[in-house]
Amino acid sequence: MMAEFGGQMAADSLLTHLLRDPNVPIGGGCLCLAGDCPHCLATVDGVSYVRTCQVAFREGAAVIPHAANGQLPPLESRGERPRVSARTTHCDIVVIGQGPAGRAAAAEARATGAHVVTLDARDGQEVIGIYPGPLVVARAEDGMRHVYPRGEIVVATGASEIQPAVSGNQLRGLVTARAAAELAAAGVPLGRVVAVGTPPDGIVCERASGTLLRFEPSSDPARVGAVVMRDADGAETRWSCETVSLGLGLTPRDALLRMARGMNVRGVGDVLVPAHVPPCPVDGTVCPCAGVTVADLASVHARGFHELELVKRATLAGTGPCQGATCVPHIRAFLAAQGAALQPPFTARPVTRQLTIGEVAAGAHPAATPRTTLHEEHLGLGATMERLGGWWRPWHYGNVEAEYAAVRHGVSICDVSTLGKMQVSGPGALALLEHLYPVPIATLAPGRARYVFMLDERGYVIDDGMVARESETRFTLTFTSGGATFAEMWVRDWAESLDADVRLMNQTFSLGAINVTGPQAATLLARAGVPAPPAFLRHGQADVAGVPCRIYRLSFTGEVSFELHHAAADSVKLWRALLLLGQDLGIRPHGLEALLKLRLEKGHLIVGQDTDFDSSLRRLGCEWGVRLDKPAFIGRQAVLRTNRLPLDRQLCGFEMAVGFQAPAEGATIWDGEDLAGVVTSTTWSPTLGKSIMLGWLRLKDGQLPTEVTINGRSARRVATPFYDPEGRRARG
Amino acid sequence: MRVVERLNGTRIVAMPAAINTATWPKGALAFRLAPDEVLVTTTVAASVVDDAHAIVERETGFSAAWVDNAEAMDFLERECDWELPRERPAFAQGMVAGLPLKLWFEQDRVLMVVASPYAADLAERLR
Repeated sequence: MMAEFGGQMAADSLLTHLLRDPNVPIGGGCLCLAGDCPHCLATVDGVSYVRTCQVAFREGAAVIPHAANGQLPPLESRGERPRVSARTTHCDIVVIGQGPAGRAAAAEARATGAHVVTLDARDGQEVIGIYPGPLVVARAEDGMRHVYPRGEIVVATGASEIQPAVSGNQLRGLVTARAAAELAAAGVPLGRVVAVGTPPDGIVCERASGTLLRFEPSSDPARVGAVVMRDADGAETRWSCETVSLGLGLTPRDALLRMARGMNVRGVGDVLVPAHVPPCPVDGTVCPCAGVTVADLASVHARGFHELELVKRATLAGTGPCQGATCVPHIRAFLAAQGAALQPPFTARPVTRQLTIGEVAAGAHPAATPRTTLHEEHLGLGATMERLGGWWRPWHYGNVEAEYAAVRHGVSICDVSTLGKMQVSGPGALALLEHLYPVPIATLAPGRARYVFMLDERGYVIDDGMVARESETRFTLTFTSGGATFAEMWVRDWAESLDADVRLMNQTFSLGAINVTGPQAATLLARAGVPAPPAFLRHGQADVAGVPCRIYRLSFTGEVSFELHHAAADSVKLWRALLLLGQDLGIRPHGLEALLKLRLEKGHLIVGQDTDFDSSLRRLGCEWGVRLDKPAFIGRQAVLRTNRLPLDRQLCGFEMAVGFQAPAEGATIWDGEDLAGVVTSTTWSPTLGKSIMLGWLRLKDGQLPTEVTINGRSARRVATPFYDPEGRRARG
Repeated sequence: MRVVERLNGTRIVAMPAAINTATWPKGALAFRLAPDEVLVTTTVAASVVDDAHAIVERETGFSAAWVDNAEAMDFLERECDWELPRERPAFAQGMVAGLPLKLWFEQDRVLMVVASPYAADLAERLR
């Protein structure tokens, strides 16, 4: 039932306000008005699991009381909700709970000059968890609060009143003694009140003596009409009433204390009271959140679940909205009555309250994806941007075929600013790089560059890139876009481990990089002021269209290529100048989709896509990438050892007959009836006019099969590169 | 949306002792990013550090925005989990609003510095 409620008393909690109207169907079960029990839970304005006793009444609030006995509230979509903020405070001491003991603890701490933060649910700041840090997280009306105390956490959350666990305990009209007093003080009509146990303060009521047996309904089957007690002689007495006040004893509200074990936390006040152990329940619901009855407890006990933690798992008692505040005393009493020792309450973990997804996500942001300086240029050219290698990158500019053709037949540019870039300088630079790379670095003369793999200690490829020597003691390294962060850590870690006398500067974000590629690339550079660019695998400094650049002559596309590294601030100027200067050459930028096609024609692998976690250079067919006559480098011992083992699989090139579409990456490769491998890269080659692939292929009887089946179609293993195998075009 | 502008400065990686004894151009801010690394908000000659192997490079890979104190503190209270320095001026760095930020605190304003590839995200999150 949903109802709109008009205003009455501004100071009312929502529950108190609702209880003024006896026709409102809320409050089945014993109400505590302290946020301990699950009985006043409702969906309020679309948010479920709201403890209506803990929130202020609000004019026009839409309230749907939750059903009892573990039934989940309906999920309601109210569209996008405003972002929940989180506010962080650092302090000396945090005091949770502002009853008399909490106030005293806060005053005492303040007297020492400490910066004290107090949090109390009644002030609208409900603590929902204490995390290692320590971090105290509270929920407030205006968002979440994250409080980091440098010193002590004082828990003064008091004690909760024990709920009745007898037949009929889900009827309306049952309240704890404190709740009865509070409701009476608020002017809520309670009718004829019978008190069981400690009577409520300030209320005229009858006192029922004896042992509580059960509650009986009135003419309204949902409301209590009587409470039945048994005296010492075994005689039952029935007390007619409209409200039953239950003063059954206290149990410490110590979930936060238990949750913070091992941290600098201290309890004060009633949170330290010994837990009252109620009589063993014999009938009725014990855990109203999960709908667990005494019969359920008996059943799991008979099946061997005798530990409190196991009973929790077997019945789900204690896993619901109140997190055991209602049921734990009764389950402890039940298990003790079966002959076991009284067991401590079960583990407490954050969170103590149900949170909305917004509250859980408060203060969090989606991971930011970096953008190159040319991001807006790409958008302006109509690029479709994708997250690739951890960056926003242009996937294409609307015409992949034309982008591809510009590289193969004219000139094109590509934003490769995302490549990892690092400078290494110092007397120990050469020794460090000799250790890091499996090929000689000392033979690299200043002004030259070399393509290199990076291996881990097991001899597996973890990255690839370039080493360029600037001088005797200074080098530039490049890494893959996606692997740059790891590679930097790898280099720094080894530099530290080897106590290398080096200076390391990561320039990935500092430098832009534009690759000028195609048969007309040198012509374009000449127009840009560089008539004599570096030869293949060499590099040099020059101004390109007025922009100071370090030019590296490499090739990933298979055509003549010049990688122009420059200050990031100059990227736009350089990009625009190159496009302008190359207009009559038919220049157009190419995106990643064309680039992946171009590199696959050359058989260039991509670390992370074509490699696996255990890809050795031998398995990759790249044994030229390691020089075992080099005395020491990371992975050398592993390479020597694994080279003695029979080769089990290899990364191979495949092609399909003309007319067959390229299969998807990840397609399985079959050798007859045997699963023989998987495709890692695939494309349709415009130049070759057929589908080409890279993929892992298992050896059979020591041989790589030549004819295989991929996606039900015949494919043939072929040597790579597929295109310009002699590399004449790249060398110019 | 707040404008986060590219910084034009110099980044230096050198022996810590060489950075300790270097003097920076008057009016420039120098942020010690690490014991062996400093970011200076102006052009600096390589000779400023006494280390023959120092890497001294023009640095345009960071962007920054000055934010007045009240606005900055409100933002940081919402977006920064770690404890901020109390003295002024002060430099601090760490994750803020999910971004790797460097913060320069003056009496009445804060300079928020971020790697330029995240500048758009900072501008968005500063709103």
